[in-house]
Amino acid sequence: MLLNAVIIILREVLEAALIISVFLALSQLLNRNLWWMLVALVLGFGGAYVYAVNLGQVSMMAGGTGQEIVNACLHSLIFLCLLLFMISVPHQQHVSWRLLNLVTIILAVITAIVREGSEIILYINGFIGIPDLLSPVLMGGAVGAGIGLSVGVFFYYLLVNMRRSHGIWLGYLILLLIGGSMVAQAVEFMIQADYISATTPIWDSSHWISERSAVGQLLYALVGYEATPAPQQAAAYFISIGVLIAAAVISYTIRGRTP
Amino acid sequence: MKSIRLFLLLSLLATITLVNFVALLHGYQSSMQKAQSLFDSRLESTARLIASANSEQAERQSIAQQQTPYSYFQIWDSGGKQLLTRSQNAPEAVTGELAEGFHEVNHASYRWRNYVYRDQHLNRWIVVAERIDIRYSLAEEVVLESLLPIVLAIPMAALIIWLAVGVGLKPLRQFADQVRHKRADDLSPIELDRVPAELTAVVGNTNALLGRLDEAFHREQRFASDAAHELRTPISVLKVHLHNLRQRLGNEDEDIALLRAGIERMGHLIEQILALYRTSPDQAAVKFEKVDMLKLAQSLIASEFVQFEQKQQQIELSGDNVEIEGNRFALETLLHNLLSNAHKYTPAGGQIHIRVRPLSGKVALTVEDSGPGIPEAQYERVFERFYRLQGDQHASGELGCGLGLTIVKHIADLHHATIKLGPSSMGQGLSVTVLFPQGEQS
Repeated sequence: MLLNAVIIILREVLEAALIISVFLALSQLLNRNLWWMLVALVLGFGGAYVYAVNLGQVSMMAGGTGQEIVNACLHSLIFLCLLLFMISVPHQQHVSWRLLNLVTIILAVITAIVREGSEIILYINGFIGIPDLLSPVLMGGAVGAGIGLSVGVFFYYLLVNMRRSHGIWLGYLILLLIGGSMVAQAVEFMIQADYISATTPIWDSSHWISERSAVGQLLYALVGYEATPAPQQAAAYFISIGVLIAAAVISYTIRGRTP
Repeated sequence: MKSIRLFLLLSLLATITLVNFVALLHGYQSSMQKAQSLFDSRLESTARLIASANSEQAERQSIAQQQTPYSYFQIWDSGGKQLLTRSQNAPEAVTGELAEGFHEVNHASYRWRNYVYRDQHLNRWIVVAERIDIRYSLAEEVVLESLLPIVLAIPMAALIIWLAVGVGLKPLRQFADQVRHKRADDLSPIELDRVPAELTAVVGNTNALLGRLDEAFHREQRFASDAAHELRTPISVLKVHLHNLRQRLGNEDEDIALLRAGIERMGHLIEQILALYRTSPDQAAVKFEKVDMLKLAQSLIASEFVQFEQKQQQIELSGDNVEIEGNRFALETLLHNLLSNAHKYTPAGGQIHIRVRPLSGKVALTVEDSGPGIPEAQYERVFERFYRLQGDQHASGELGCGLGLTIVKHIADLHHATIKLGPSSMGQGLSVTVLFPQGEQS
C-alpha cells in the first residue's frame, strides 16, 4: 500500500512541482516579482478542494465521462497557457504583454495545482475511515510528496544558479516538454472517454523503463513518458511541441522586426 | 538567489529528504521481502508440525476450533483424491496443485499463499495457507513502525538546519547590518565578534578601503581648511591695498570696481569653504546642546539688521520659543546662509518672513522672501556644491559661490532635519522650510 501511495502521490506532486519550479525560476531570471506565487497557490489549493468535493457530480456528466473531459480540458488549458507564455515573453517591454505573461503563469500554476491537488485529495480521502490502510497511505503520501517537492527544489535552484541565458533556455525546454506531455495526457483522457478510438500502442518500453519506477515517474513528469503510448498520443505530443517552438520563433522574429 | 539561508535550508532539506526517502523505499522493499520469507518459514514449520501431530490416516470431520479465519490447513491422501481432514474454513477441494512448495491460490474471494508439504512417512499431503493481504498488512505494520521516525525526522531536520545555518551566517549578517546602518560619514572599521575564514578577506579589504577613504577625506578637509585659512591673510592684504588704490584713483574707476568685486567674491568663497569644514560631522557632532531657534533667529537678525535696512527690506520674525538639540555654531551658519540668500535675491523694498513653530511633532524653521524664487525643476540641484542657478550669469548679479545651500543641507543632515523648498506665500519668491526633530518646548 505504501508503494502504491508513493507512486500515485509522487506522480501528481512531481508534475505540479516541476511546473511551479520552472515558472518560479523563469520569473526570477526574467526579473519578475514573485508575489503571484502566493496568489496562485491559494487559488490553486482552493480550486483543488472544490473540484475534489464536486468530482462525483462532474463524473456523472456527459454520460459518465465528465471527469475525463474536465481533466482533458485542464491539461489543454495548461498547454494554452504555456503557448501564450512563449508568445508573450519576447514582448516584455509592453505593459499589456507583461500582464498577459503574468496571467498565463498564474493560470498555468493554478490549473496544475487544481488538477494534481484534486487527485491527491480524492486518493487520500478514499482511505479515511480505514485505519489499517490510512497510515501506510499517509506515510506513502508524505514520502511521495517529499521526493516530488525535493526534485522541484533542485530544478528551481539548478535553473536560477545557471548562467542566466542557459537557465532561460533550459526553462523553455522543460516547458516545451511539459506542454507536449499535457496535450498527450489530454488525448489519453479523450481515449479513456471513448471520444478518440483506442488503437494498439506504437511501442512498449515497459521492459526498459517501467512507468511505476522512480525513473519512470520522473520521466513522466518531465517529458510525459509513456511506456505504451497510443499513436494519437505520440502524434499529439510531437505536434504540440512543434506548435510551441513555432509560436516562440515567430514571436521572437516579430519582435526583432519591430523598430 | 534571494537568501543564502533559504537556499541552504531548501537545498539541504531537499537532499536529505530525497536521499532518506529513496533509502526508505529501498529499506521498505527489503524489509517486506524479509518479512514475507519469515512468514513462509512459519508456514513451512506449521505444515511439518501438523504432519507430526496428526497421524490419523482415516477420513475425519473438519476441525471446528478454528483459531483464525486468516489461515487454513488440509490433509490429503497420497493421490490427492480424498480429503482426510481440514480446518473449518478450508476449501473441500484442492486449490492449485499438490506439488511440494509455495503457491498462490484464490479461495473465498481472497488471495492465499499456501505451502504444500509431502509427508513421506504417512504418504499424504499437508496443505497450509495464509491470506496474502493479512500477511502483507502485518508485515507493513511492522515495517512502517521502523520507518515512521525517518519521515517524522524531516521537520526536525528542517528546524535544526534553519538554526544551524542561522548561526553559521551570523557573522555575515553582522557584517551586513553594520554596513547597512553605517552613517554616510562613519568610516570607522567594521568589527565582528569572530571573523570566519570565508569572510576574512572581505572584512579585511573593506576595512582597509574604509581606512583609505577616511584618510582621503581628512586630507581633503585639511587641505581645504588650510588653503582657505592661509588665503585669508593675503586677501586681507589685498583689501588694504585696494582701499589705498581707491583713495588714490577714486571710486569711479571701473577696473577698481571689478577688482573689488573679484576680491570680495574670493573672500566669500573662502569663508564658505571654512564654514563647510567647520560644520562637517566630525567637527560639530560633539558639541550638541539645546538651542532656542526663535532666540537664535532674533539675535542673528539684530546683528545683520543693517544690511536689510540698507536695501529697505522689511524683515519679520514670528513664532514660538522652541528648543532643538543642535550645534549652535552650525545652526547660526544655517540661518545666516538662509537669511543671506533671502537678502541677496529679494529686491530692494521686498519682504522677508522668518517663522519658527512646532509642526507635526517637529520644529519648522521657515524663511520666505519675495524675490524671483527658484523653478521647481531646480529644487534638487541647488543643494549641489558650487551649483548656481543660471551659473555665473545669475540675473541678480549678486555675489555667490554656490556653497550656501550646500552648507544648509550639510547642517540639516547633521541634525537629522529635512529641507523643503517651495513657492513663497507672498505671491512670488522662495520658501525654505527646515524640519528639525523636536527638543523640549520652553
